[in-house]
Formats: sequence, C-alpha cells, structure tokens
Amino acid sequence: MNMIRRSVPALATALLASAAFAADVETITIKTLRAQMKYDVTEFDVKPGQKVKVIFRNEDDMPHNICFFQPGTDVIAAANKQMDKPEEALKRNWIPDDPRMWAHTKPVNPKENDELTFTAPEKPGVYPFVCTFPGHAAIMQGKMNVGETGQRLPGLTDLKFELFLGNWKTLPDFAKLKPHREGDVKDGLVQIKVDDYKNEFGLVFTGKLDVPKDGDYSFQIASDDGGRIFVDGRRVVENDGIHPATTIREGKAKLKKGAHVFRLEYFQATGQAELFAAWGGPGFVTTPLSKTEHPGMKAVTKKGKNKNENTGFPLVVAQEPIVYRNFITGAGNRAIGVGYPGNASIAWSTEAMNLAIAWRGAFIDAARHWNGRGGGAQPPLGFDVFRPAELSQPFAVIADGATWPALEKGGRAAGYTWRGYELDEKRMPIFRYDWEGVKVSERYEVAGDALTGDGRLVRTLKLDGKIPAGALFRVASSAKITPQGAGFLVESGRVVTEINSDPKFVVTAEGAKLNGKDITLPARAEIKVTYSWPSLHGAH
Amino acid sequence: MKSLRILSTLLLATATLRAADPQESDYYKITTFDTPPGTALEVSSIELLPDGKLAIGTRRGEIWTASNADSEPANVKYQLFASGQHEVMGLAWKDQTLTITNRYEVARLTDTNGDGRADKFETVCDKWGVSGDYHEYSFGSRFDKDGDIWVVLCLTGSFNSSAPFRGWCVRVKPDGTMVPTCSGVRSPGGIVVNYDNEVYYTDNQGPWHGACTLQHLVPGSFQGHPGGNVWYDKAPNMGPRPIDPIPEAFQGGKKKGEGKPADPDRMVLERQRIKQLVPPVVYMVHGKIGNSSSFIVPDLSGGKFGPFSRQLFIADQSHSNISRVFIEEVNGIKQGVVFPFRKGFRSGLIGGRMNEKGQLFAGGSDRGWGAKGGQPFSFERLDWTGKVPFEVHEMRAKPDGFELTFTEPVDEKTAANPASYSARQFTYAYRAEYGGDEVDEKIPKITKATVSADKKSVRLTFDKLVQGDIHEVHFDGVRSADGKPMLHPIGYYTLNEIPAK
Repeated sequence: MNMIRRSVPALATALLASAAFAADVETITIKTLRAQMKYDVTEFDVKPGQKVKVIFRNEDDMPHNICFFQPGTDVIAAANKQMDKPEEALKRNWIPDDPRMWAHTKPVNPKENDELTFTAPEKPGVYPFVCTFPGHAAIMQGKMNVGETGQRLPGLTDLKFELFLGNWKTLPDFAKLKPHREGDVKDGLVQIKVDDYKNEFGLVFTGKLDVPKDGDYSFQIASDDGGRIFVDGRRVVENDGIHPATTIREGKAKLKKGAHVFRLEYFQATGQAELFAAWGGPGFVTTPLSKTEHPGMKAVTKKGKNKNENTGFPLVVAQEPIVYRNFITGAGNRAIGVGYPGNASIAWSTEAMNLAIAWRGAFIDAARHWNGRGGGAQPPLGFDVFRPAELSQPFAVIADGATWPALEKGGRAAGYTWRGYELDEKRMPIFRYDWEGVKVSERYEVAGDALTGDGRLVRTLKLDGKIPAGALFRVASSAKITPQGAGFLVESGRVVTEINSDPKFVVTAEGAKLNGKDITLPARAEIKVTYSWPSLHGAH
Repeated sequence: MKSLRILSTLLLATATLRAADPQESDYYKITTFDTPPGTALEVSSIELLPDGKLAIGTRRGEIWTASNADSEPANVKYQLFASGQHEVMGLAWKDQTLTITNRYEVARLTDTNGDGRADKFETVCDKWGVSGDYHEYSFGSRFDKDGDIWVVLCLTGSFNSSAPFRGWCVRVKPDGTMVPTCSGVRSPGGIVVNYDNEVYYTDNQGPWHGACTLQHLVPGSFQGHPGGNVWYDKAPNMGPRPIDPIPEAFQGGKKKGEGKPADPDRMVLERQRIKQLVPPVVYMVHGKIGNSSSFIVPDLSGGKFGPFSRQLFIADQSHSNISRVFIEEVNGIKQGVVFPFRKGFRSGLIGGRMNEKGQLFAGGSDRGWGAKGGQPFSFERLDWTGKVPFEVHEMRAKPDGFELTFTEPVDEKTAANPASYSARQFTYAYRAEYGGDEVDEKIPKITKATVSADKKSVRLTFDKLVQGDIHEVHFDGVRSADGKPMLHPIGYYTLNEIPAK
C-alpha cells in the first residue's frame, strides 16, 4: 500500500493549485490498476467540510467500485460479510447494506468511469474506502485523511548543509570542526551529493521539521557509512561506524505539534556512499526525508510490515490460465495452483496426484512468497473454497468395506509417478501421471462464470493402459453428502478460516455412487466430473 | 640537463600519483540492463541459448529469454518463456530443451509449437523431499559429461533436515534416476560443473561454517554439516554414515587470537577422524570477501574476459560483488586462493553465466536478505575493457611459502623486498554454533622474496606455514615494472595441505 503513497506529492501539488485557483471543489482522480486489483491512489488528504469530486476510472478487466466508510470500520469484514448471502449481494450489485458506508460510486464496468461528489465530513479522521466486490477488499482499499494538515507531505524546511573533510572511522564531533563548505538545500531533502567528494568527507544537515500534530514519531536512518539524527538536540537514532546501508535503524520521539530543530550527521570513509532517512507519525505513513528512498524503509514500521508482507501481489487471470507452483494452503508442499478464466481456481497436488482444493472469485495473492524469503502456505484469494476429499490418491483397488488409502502428511501417493504437465492450445494445463502402468491425464476448464453466473468446474480424466480390475475413482468424500438431482451436495471440511467461505459443492459424474462417505465410480478410459457451487444456483 | 632531470622527475611523480589509484572500473565495466516491465527480474539462474540468446530464471518462478544482451543495453529484448515455477535455481540447455531445477524437480521445458513459450513441462526427477520450509532452496548445475544434473539441496533451516536428502548433493541421470552423491551440505548459493568435469558449490556461513566456502563435490564425500546425515539409510551407495563431528566440544565463543592449534574444533584435525570429510576448497573470508556466496562462473572464454582464463568467479549476494578464485590440487585435495575482483553491482547477486565472448551476465535480488547494491533486483553484464589489471594471477602453495605469478612483470626492487609483503594466519572453528570469528591468529615472517628471471613471478618464503589455516597475504608494497600498485593487494589462501615440494 505504502508504495503508492509516492504518487501523492504530484497529486498534492495539483490539489494545491486547484485550491488556490478554483477554490471550492477538490477533484481527485482514482484509477484502478490493470490486473493488480489495486487503486492507483491509496491515500489522499482533504479539509473538513470541503466539497470533493472523485472521478473513478476503471482501467481493469473486471468491475470495481469505491465505497467510503466511517473511520475505524473494518472494511474487509464489511465487504466480505456480503459473501454470507451472495444472492442478496448480487441484487445490490455488491454494494453493502451497511450503515457505516456513507458514499459510494456505482459498480463500474471495465474501461468505464463514474463520478461521485460529496462534502467531506466535518469530523477530522481517516475515512477508509474500499472495493466491495467479492474478494477484492483485502487488497483494494485506501484512505481519505480529513484534517487541517492535508495537502502536503510533512518534512523539512530551511534545510542547510555543512561539508567537512576528514578521514574517520566513527562520527566525529562536528561541532568542534570547521566546515569546508556550507550552503542551502533547496529541495529540503537530505542528500549525499552536495559536492563531488566521494571519499573521506562528512555532512551535517540542519533544518526545521514541521510536526503536524502531537504524537509519537519514528525516525529511520540507513547509511554507508555512519549516520545519526537529532531532534531538538536529542539523539533519536544512530548507526555509527563503517558499514553498508543495508541495515535500517529506527528511533522514536514524542513530539509536539509545530516546528522542531532537525539535525542529521553523516560521514563517508571510502568505497560505497549512501544516505537514507525517513520519518512517520500520526496521520501519515513513512515518508522520506532523503532524496533517495531506501527500498526497505517503507516496510520497516511494524504496522506497515505486517500489512505488506502477505498481501499486494494478486495474480489476476485474464484470457489465459495462470499456473502458480508454490506452497498453497490445503494442497501440500508440491502444489500447482491454476487460476482459470471464468473466475474459478484449483490447487492440484503432485503429492496426492489429485485435485486438492477449488474455489471461486480471485485466484491467489503471491505476496507471501514474493515479498520475503518465500515460506509458508498461501490460502486462496477467492472464496467458497472446498476440497473434494481429504488429500489422497484418486484411484485405488480396495476390498469391499475397506477405507480409501490415506496419504501420510507430506508423503507421496504410493504407486503413482508424476510426469509433469502440458499447456494445450488454450494454455490449459493437462496434468500427467502414471498409476500402476496406466497413463493418466487430467484437464480442467470453467464453463460459464463462477463469480456471478452459473460457473462450473469441469474435470476430465483420460486413462491410457490396462486399468487394474476393480479399480475405483473417488469423486468426493465427506461425512455430509446428500443426493441432489443427478449428483450430490457435499459439505467439505473448511480449508481456510481467513475469509468467509462456504465449503459446499455439488458434484456430478456418470456412474458415481455413494459408498459410506465416499462417492466413487469404476475407473474407465474417460471420466468427466463437474463441480459447482450451490451458492451460485440457489440449491441449498 | 639539470632542469630537464627535475622536470622528468616531476613528470614521473605525477604519473605515479595518478597511477596510485587504479580503479576496478578501468578494467571491468558493469552495464546495467532495464528489466521487463510488470515483474521483478530477481535473477536466480542464467543459461546460454542458441543464437546468442539467454534464458533467465527468477525467484518468482519465471523464465525469460533475452535477445541481444551481448550488445548495447537498449537493444535487449525480453520474452516470457515460462512462469509459475517454484523458484528457478538452475538452467541447462541441450537438444532444443531447457532443463530447469525448481524447488522440488528437475524438469524439461520445451516449446513445441515455436511461439517462444514453453508448453511442455516434463518432470525428469522429483525424488528429493520438500517440507514447506522457506530455506529448502534447490540449486541445479548444468550437464556434466555424462549428461547428469547435480542438485545441491539446502537443509530445512540452518541445522536440520526434515525431508529426504535435504542437506545433500544428488545427481539426476538423464533417465530420471537420482543418485545420492555427497552429504554435509548446509545452505548452497550456487553450483558449477567446471571445465574438467569437477563439480563445485558455494556454501554459506552458519553452523559448521565460520565463513562462506567454496566446496568440492567429490562423490561419496561428507561436506561438513552433519544435519542431513540422517538419510544415509536411504543411500546405500554412499556406504556407512560418517561419524559425527562432536558439536559440544566446539562451543565457547572463541575470539580472534583466542583459539589454540590443539583445540579439537579444527577442520584439519577432524579430517583425520572423519575419513569422508572434505575440507572447503577456499574460505570466502567473512565480511572481507563476502557474507553470502552465490554463483560460480569459470572463465572459459580463452582470454576474452582478461588474463584469468579457467579461474572461477564467485559472486556474493549480500556484498553485491564478484571475487576471483584460483584452485590447485595438493595431495589429492583441492585448495586455493580468493582475491577481491569487482564490486558495485546493483543488487544481491545470485545467478550468473559467461558467454563465449567473455561477457559475464549477473543478476539477483535482495529479497529476504539485504544486499549492498541497494536495488531490489538487477540484471547486469560485466565486460573486460581490454586493459590488464596489475594483479596476482595465480598463487600456489610451496613447502615453505607461496609462489605468486603476476599479470604483468613486476618492479624487481619492490617485489624482491620482503617488506613489500605481510601476512597473517588464522582459521575458523569447525563447530555447530552459527558462524564464528577468525581464531588462532599468528603473524608469520616473510623471510625472502625471490623474483623470477622473467619478472612475472615471485617466490615467497615464510618462516612457518600452518596446515588448515587461511593465509592472508598482503602485497601492498609491490609495484609493476611501470610503477603501478596492485589493483587488489590481498589474497586469502586456504592451506588444506602443504606440498612436499
């Protein structure tokens, strides 16, 4: 989220200009980013009681909206609550029936626009906005800051530098040294290149820090070599000595609203020279105080980090399916996630050699694996996640009344060999494996639209070779199965708890029979299985 | 006459002053490429394709092809060849097929319809384990002379192995058979099949590793970290499980100078007890050479990359640099020396490859582990400018010292003066605790420096060599025949064995 804060200075300049010349209406343009499930502006500032016009341009490939809520609203919960009763939500076009929502655009189709005009609340605060389409809220949100400070990133003014020459291994007492050169820093940003010196120099920056309101502020520094920050003469943070700028140090200060004396000291011995500083506080996110931005600084504050690490990389399916091999919740350690056109997704396990889970809505967020070192299983980004059966092999020869072979946790299905997959002309994966001398292929496709229409997941298995006598294919398994029409309504175990999911599905397959808790059919050369979501066709 | 001489002395002084500051960039130039928009090109492996193209594997599991990367950076063209792999830490091209190593498979990727995108993903081998821990990275080599891919498998975390063959090197035969080949692996950062079919990998500082190391993968050997040795019962071809190094005996934070040669926590002593234990070829001295060794690239360009033909170029993820390694074999054991080579890459280096033109492609990411470069990811190229840096070319162990060869003739006066050199000897404790200081420091005397007749080599005589120690040798006073100081006046030689002659 913080990443997008960068776009705001430009916006703020525009706002200032419009405030100066057009006076009364603030116009904010918010666009959706294509295939990212994000707004391009995730934060903007307005004054209390101000007239605001929001121009919403949907440049994505799916419909979105913007709904504004009261401060403190858990907007993810408010949006996801709709998934409890999707039929009613559909009738409202996914605009929540929630008293905390006080303004919204209409649902805007791809490549269309809408405008929303309102008077900003008189009460200062942070007013969240969010897209309330199912599965979007977790990452598609932002905030409107209502307050007097608005419209300008807080930072330094009257910034001056002093340049010192010398060979140090730790920060010297600059007060006792005579500067080689001094001058003004016009852009108000701490920077290393005030002169051409590359080695053996020191810098002291002094300026006025404009603190927008009383509160706790954090200051960050990362420097090559040593650096420290003083506020009102008190040392807030320091990273002295000779080192690369990879370590970010953070210090805190309780500050009163108004001007404070800022001082940053830095020295460079030899080699690489870098200097980064930033601060954050009530009402604004981590903001650079230096000309160059440290890639790690935005994420350093605890609040920002938790938020950023596991969200922010939704893989959005367009015309072609997306394959994502990684750790996926409920699908073991060798999962293949596939997001299909038609708003349904699966995770297939090459440990069980079987379909592990399926869901509808958005595919998956790769942030957990792409932001950090890549550990941990990622749950689906969509909803109504079901698993056809506990994770185990698809085919077996079992005695009458015997239970289906179970898969040891982290183990591999015995007698199965994984061969890999192909992408057909529609780039649909065809999984291939061998079982007892039989070459098996599996292909999935979504018929219809599983988000809003009557989408179904169609699974086709082809078996090539001599099928062992008495071999069964297990379609599904659960303690809660009821025959329904030509198929069965199955209530599966809950795979994820993070989002509001209904783990029910309807499954049909020719020749399928219920034996105890398993739905099976005799293995044959071609098997077609259709899974659908009862919430879509009102078949509860 | 007199005034002329003063003038020429002045000129010489000026020239010396200017030459006093040779820069790495004078000799090796870094070119930075723009990367494909909309993705993070966190380069984790690079391979050469026909027609001068490159294949670039990334931590996000994508494989890009890059055309024209051997020319001006503005000419580079990217195409997404494949995506969705669970990290791509190995690429090997053969027979119109790209063989990749991901976290749990060696697989063959083929573009059967010629649209530039892979459509066939055939699994060759998926027989090693994966537990779900982030640490279990898998680095795959290119093909050895038998067509095998060697895969080094990171442990589950720093100490243990939770899934089969984590902490091992396995070979994958062309038919998919997996052959357990070496135990004792900790946390690899790169692997290479060298020109002589010997296979090396880099391991990282941590338990049983006081520093990152270059390791020689001798089939049947134990590489030093016992965490993965629980899988010997699944590897009958490897013989009995080696006896464990005893971790408890080796605890106790020894600092610089505090260790004693008789302490049992010495690689040189443990080698006598554990017969399968192969010592590190080279310690990549911690904090000085790097903190996180990664790719290994041999220079097989036949001189197009400069004077260091057949030497190894080893990258560091956290220092964003490349070091240079010369290897020799003494008493059947590989050992050698590491020199600083080139710093200043934009991100943490992970993947690298040199083409036949002697252009070294390098890229990486700082994700999860910081890197000096400062950029979250990068793809760059290193070219030799054609100017020969004044460096130690090779450094060989002798019974009573070392023989240095230089890239250019030396100034006899400085090179023959023992005071132009200095040295220290130290080692790292071989122990279970994470990392460790340089211990058991000694300052040997360099008693003699003899310059060869062709002035290209110098024989250094030490008062004492210490088997198992890193011999850090400084060449600060040495000048080239035309008065240049050395570009990198330091080398770190790992003396596993002292030659008899």
